[in-house]
Amino acid sequence: MLQMIIRNLARRKMRSAVTAGGVALAVAAMFSMLAFMLGYQRGMRGELDRLGAHVLVVPKGCPYDAASIALHGANWPCYLKQDYVKTVQDTPHVAVAAPVYMSAVYDSATGAQTVFCGVTREILGLKREWKIDGEFPSASGDLLVGSETAKDRDWKLGAQVTLPGLDGASGRISGIIRPTQGADDLFIYMPLQDVQSQFKRPHQITHMLVRLDSPESMESVVNALRSCGAGLEMNVVPLAHLFSTINNLVQGTRFLLGCVALIALLAAGAGLSNTILMAVAERTREIGVLRAIGASRLRVFGLILGETLALCVIGGAAGIAAAIIGSRGIEAWLRGRLPFTPDGTLIQAQPLTVALCLLVAAAVGCLAGLLPAWRACRLAPVAAIQTAGGAS
Amino acid sequence: MASLQARPSCGYSDGWRSLLTNPQSAAPGEPSTGAPLAVAVRGVTKVYRRGIEEVRAIDDVTFDIRRGEFLAITGHSGAGKTTLLQLIGAMDTPTSGSILINGHELADMQDSKLTRLRRDEIGFVFQHFGLLPTLTVAENVALPASFGGKRKPPDVKALLERVSLQHRMTHRPSELSGGEMQRVAIARALVNGPSLLLADEPTGNLDSGTSERIIDLLQSLNGDGLTVVVVTHNEALAAKSDRRLLLRDGKAEG
Repeated sequence: MLQMIIRNLARRKMRSAVTAGGVALAVAAMFSMLAFMLGYQRGMRGELDRLGAHVLVVPKGCPYDAASIALHGANWPCYLKQDYVKTVQDTPHVAVAAPVYMSAVYDSATGAQTVFCGVTREILGLKREWKIDGEFPSASGDLLVGSETAKDRDWKLGAQVTLPGLDGASGRISGIIRPTQGADDLFIYMPLQDVQSQFKRPHQITHMLVRLDSPESMESVVNALRSCGAGLEMNVVPLAHLFSTINNLVQGTRFLLGCVALIALLAAGAGLSNTILMAVAERTREIGVLRAIGASRLRVFGLILGETLALCVIGGAAGIAAAIIGSRGIEAWLRGRLPFTPDGTLIQAQPLTVALCLLVAAAVGCLAGLLPAWRACRLAPVAAIQTAGGAS
Repeated sequence: MASLQARPSCGYSDGWRSLLTNPQSAAPGEPSTGAPLAVAVRGVTKVYRRGIEEVRAIDDVTFDIRRGEFLAITGHSGAGKTTLLQLIGAMDTPTSGSILINGHELADMQDSKLTRLRRDEIGFVFQHFGLLPTLTVAENVALPASFGGKRKPPDVKALLERVSLQHRMTHRPSELSGGEMQRVAIARALVNGPSLLLADEPTGNLDSGTSERIIDLLQSLNGDGLTVVVVTHNEALAAKSDRRLLLRDGKAEG
């Protein structure tokens, strides 16, 4: 039967290809949407996990912009007093409060950006996954650099290097962070005071990364920080809340894409059903012959349903392959339309996503094939003699 | 060479035994032998509706076909020959009357049983051959056997030898001549070992030389004990039959 199904589909190659193409388009849209959705959530969670903090304390302003800058590295538009670090650190249930001064410098010649982060040893209480070759900066002029930056600039441990974008400034590489697959791979970490003096912002920081002794104490810590004296100048952003808020923000895009994928699937299903109905009409005599020589209704039903199913599964597989091949383009298009996107590959072929898409394609095939298969199996064997066309 | 033997029908023996003692017998072309009945047609009428018009394609036809008989159904175009063959072949149902195949009343059978009957008891040969273009000759011949009911795979090679087409096993129907296609169709009709072979204008699309080979083949199969019923315009074919049933405007004439 499988052989018959494949040969029947191959009989009208162009029609089969166009029909499967419709399904492929719809499944590609669905796969991209699902893979993006899962990749986006995974990427967001990964970035926040790599940040190592439960709470982000930033200057007043848009918390999402602040989170984006803290995660990806850029210039901050405003600053916090360094004195607030003690206030935050002394708040009950705060395990670590790590101050950061972050600034990005553009090299006009290359157009590249270098992100400098002034930090104290407290950062190690947050970045627990860091593996450092060498040691954390212990003296002024020491540098801790991300693996990508070290590789790109060919910086070696212990080397005295000129800091890019900072006229005449230099430092000694005291440590290199092994690859984290995050933004840390691109950053240059220095003692906080060095960065503050380099950018002429003494006693100022851009943000604080706060880790709690337990995530359950989030509400009390946030309330305490918001109601303290410094609370008027600080924006206290629980990262779990930020995660869900950003997810909600992209929900609209997701919904839109979901609707497009659903409509495409329905259209493909309707087109498929129509194509198979036409094929059944063309093959009336052939189906009649099958019935006349002893094929049961169930057999004919299975044959037509099988053909529809095969078209859908082939189309679905092709759609998934196309979506994977075109994932970079799709991702770039989506990144341009979303307020915040995490680093890394967002559209990946997860086995579960592939299986789900193939399953949906098969379900569409089953639904689309029901009517044609029903009509075919209801054909009387007498059609074999009375109708023209279909069999030699 | 495969030899075809007349064999007892599968599960329908009680029916045809009762027919042996059935005093009602068809008037036109009553077979002379005392062989058991393969087909009994009793007062069969088939009416088609075309809009408000009623067409009596078959009008109160009664006749019997004995096992091993070669019957030719003849008549002008539109006389109802093909309709009658469809009714005997369990492909259509009469408006009134009854048809018994190997003693089994078709009207009492559900679709699944009719399907089994067509698969196991009846071989059908179409004027247009009815071969599936996507399958090879061997696959076309084996097709009815794949519909179930047979544990042993069919001896397709022997069947194709029987119709002298063993060298064409892997060819597609499009690569065959009309006569070859019809011989493949005959081999396919025989694959499940039917007791009854129905052929609708088997030489209708063939030239006279090729027709002769088909006629010889049908006669040879009948000689092996197979009951053969052909609808034909071909006088040479009708002349080779044991008996003719002439249809005129749906009515049987002796």
